[in-house]
Amino acid sequence: MAAFEELVARHRDKIYARAYSMMRNEEEAIDLSQEAWVKGWQRLRQFQGESSFGTWMTRIVINLCLDQLRKQKRQRTESIEAMDEESGGVERQMPVITVNPTAGLERGELRQRIDRALGQLSYEHRTVLVLHEFEEMEYKEIAKTMDCSIGTVMSRLFYARRKLAVLLADLKKQDSV
Amino acid sequence: MDYDAQLRLQAFLDGELPEAETSEVANWVARDREAAAQLEELRNTGKALAGLEAGIQLPESREFFWSKVRREIQRLEMLAPKSAPTSRFAQWRRFLVPASALALVFVAGILLIQPVGQIGRTPAGDIETALSDAGAFTYRDYTAGTTLVWLSYPADNEIAESDEMGTVE
Repeated sequence: MAAFEELVARHRDKIYARAYSMMRNEEEAIDLSQEAWVKGWQRLRQFQGESSFGTWMTRIVINLCLDQLRKQKRQRTESIEAMDEESGGVERQMPVITVNPTAGLERGELRQRIDRALGQLSYEHRTVLVLHEFEEMEYKEIAKTMDCSIGTVMSRLFYARRKLAVLLADLKKQDSV
Repeated sequence: MDYDAQLRLQAFLDGELPEAETSEVANWVARDREAAAQLEELRNTGKALAGLEAGIQLPESREFFWSKVRREIQRLEMLAPKSAPTSRFAQWRRFLVPASALALVFVAGILLIQPVGQIGRTPAGDIETALSDAGAFTYRDYTAGTTLVWLSYPADNEIAESDEMGTVE
């Protein structure tokens, strides 16, 4: 178990960061990353070394987060706004953000802005973005993980990127006023 | 720009387009300013997100977090062996019940058979003891007051000196 403790120490920040990116909630991210480590220990014999240990653990925490987010979604009532968001909403029609809204920002400030913007995305859009940008998954892999079509993945990813660009531009405007 | 064209542009950025289409889209972006601007916006969001997770740290100390993980692992491991013996015991019980019943029948059988064997110690059995052979058996007719003893080979040889087939009264 001492060796496993060492693995936890080495990868715990990465696993927590992935959980936090998906959940946007510190407590939930801690709980889910802890659960992921327990699952990791239980399934250690299944680890074949096809990917790195960190990648293997990341997939475990992603699946736990997805389960949790699906549970939460079932519990809350679908709003018209959410339905509109699913289909693309008005952001798709909005003019292109020509200026990079994050240019010239310090790392801490940028992180704060992105955190706020990510927090405003629905879990489906945020997850697609996280899986693509952080986990570097291909469309096909994301579709499999999220149990949806490749077309839905493309649509969600496009919307998430556009929405993020708009939110970041808005935040920049608010800050400059 | 229609929605399909926007998605195609995104697939181009993500390297998800078939090779044949890649050069086609590259040419389109090179001559269409709107497409180029859209592509740039998509690229910027990617850049903004790059390295975002690198600065995130678990807000709990190494020892505290590990102690929680370890406790949970140990708790679950304690639960697992507890349920296992129950089922193992149930399996044993399934085997033990008929086995003990069989053993009971066997012991009862032995106890019932034993008195017959002890007949040899009864006065009539004295004859058998004297012959000291299991191949001998006795027939008694109390009404006729007759007792017949049959002796089979090789016991015949043993009694040859005394009698080949005797009638004892």
